[in-house]
Amino acid sequence: MIRFINASKFYPPQTKALDNLSLHIYPGEFVSIVGQSGSGKTTIVKCLIGEEKLDEGRVIVGDWDITHISNREIPYLRRQIGVIFQDFKLLPKKTLAENVAFALQVCGKSPKKIKAIVPSVMKIVGLTEQMNRYPNEVSGGEQQRAAIARALVYQPKILVADEPTGNLDSINAEEIVNLLLKINDLGTTVILVTHNREIVNNLNRRVISISDGRLVNDQARGKYII
Amino acid sequence: MFLSLARIIKFGFQDVWRNFWLSLATIMILVLTLFSVDLLLALRIIGQAAVDNLKNRVDVSIYLKQGVPEDKILNLKARLANLNNVQEVNYISQSAALESFQRRHQSDPEILQALQELDQNPLAPTLTVKPKDPDHYEELIEELDQIEDPIIESRNFQDNKKLLDKINYITDKINDVAIIISSIFLLIMILVMFNSVRLAIYSHRQEIVIMKLVGASNAFIKAPFLFSSLIYTLVGVVLTAVIFYAFLTVLQPYLDTFFFGYNIDLITYFNSHWLQIIGLQFAGAAMVNLLASYIAVGKYSKI
Ligand SMILES: Nc1ncnc2c1ncn2[C@@H]1O[C@H](COP(=O)(O)OP(=O)(O)OP(=O)(O)O)[C@@H](O)[C@H]1O
Ligand SMILES: [Mg+2]
Repeated sequence: MIRFINASKFYPPQTKALDNLSLHIYPGEFVSIVGQSGSGKTTIVKCLIGEEKLDEGRVIVGDWDITHISNREIPYLRRQIGVIFQDFKLLPKKTLAENVAFALQVCGKSPKKIKAIVPSVMKIVGLTEQMNRYPNEVSGGEQQRAAIARALVYQPKILVADEPTGNLDSINAEEIVNLLLKINDLGTTVILVTHNREIVNNLNRRVISISDGRLVNDQARGKYII
Repeated sequence: MFLSLARIIKFGFQDVWRNFWLSLATIMILVLTLFSVDLLLALRIIGQAAVDNLKNRVDVSIYLKQGVPEDKILNLKARLANLNNVQEVNYISQSAALESFQRRHQSDPEILQALQELDQNPLAPTLTVKPKDPDHYEELIEELDQIEDPIIESRNFQDNKKLLDKINYITDKINDVAIIISSIFLLIMILVMFNSVRLAIYSHRQEIVIMKLVGASNAFIKAPFLFSSLIYTLVGVVLTAVIFYAFLTVLQPYLDTFFFGYNIDLITYFNSHWLQIIGLQFAGAAMVNLLASYIAVGKYSKI
């Protein structure tokens, strides 16, 4: 599903964010990527969604080699990979439902389709009751769930979460992780980038550890070891 | 496709509305620029009309002796008409001269009174000579000086030419100044447009980040900003036309008084050319503004 082959990424003047990294993620997997701050985790995410380009090596999503993806193709890639972040990136002046609908509007979906899709993804993330509230009227966990709902509107095969629980307390964090597991059960490949030792250890799923842009550990039922 | 277009238009209007004061400032600058261009155009028209009018008035009158037989006059007229620099020669008979004199002094009863007290027509028959090209006025005068005929009483080389040169000079100077002012405004307009698009992008950066994230096409992200610059242009052009028209309405009576007899009617001119003027201005301004916004969008929407 996702392959990084001998991938290297440099940031001028002399940061080597990824250093000859190879990894392979299979369809339907739930993979955690862990590593210290600055180890290159976000760089992996950026290369995966075409925001940054590798300097060496290749990235392949499905059977699409996106190593040298053009700016015109990026939108198509983005509709196939849902992404969420630590800061939920919701628009404060739109309700949760409007935030989700926005993702559909800007890609030219008809109001009819939008009306059908929004409630269904809201239901998946359990926000049916709160969907007409504004971001500042709901908890951080609920905001992150709205962001997840937005990431799901195109039914992506892959969901990438870059520190989704970084701004949440442990209870909310656990709920988000449970939601990600549920989405994974529905067939979506989930990549969870995190610092949170407790979460990773409880998951008992595949863990990829990164250090200085290099893969240092890859275990099928791993623990947070760094 | 149609749906996207509708959304682009909607977002475009939102841009304009959300940065209301900025939009207002942008439109004001646009109006100033276009107004100065309009003013330039009006000055050109006035100058041209004045010059044309004067060119027609650059002529030489040759006064003839009274009571000269008609055939001798026509003979002289034919000789004059054959000269190189002569466009046409008009014969104004004694009675025609009197008539036109009376017409010119219609509102001056004292002069008319004095005229009546004379028992004969005091005016001389006249030949007016019009030059082919007012710029070759001196040569015409040389030619005329060489013509000798006993029936010629006097010649009046009244120097409209000097006045013409002066007006030419003034209109040229006014033109230069107006072009400089217009260019300065144009430059300001480009900078302001560039900047307001930049600020519009800045105030929408959250949306842009999200749009990119969820896979909106680049064209869809950029188009609203270009569209809003079109809105600015349209509003600016229409507003300018309205203001300028009002300005002309106020100005016209002064023009009529100042250029009495020159028949400079800017209002009529604008009435019959308004579509061209507005259309050209819109096309020109839209091109400049789209270019400025396109560069701004290209530069700043890569958040
Ligand atoms: N745009 C950039 N320009 C220069 N250097 C960068 C840039 N982005 C990241 N880096 C550097 O690349 C390295 C990897 O960064 P990255 O963001 O991938 O780390 P990370 O593992 O996500 O860290 P964190 O856990 O703190 O989010 C770091 O040393 C960082 O300073
Ligand atoms: Mg990071």
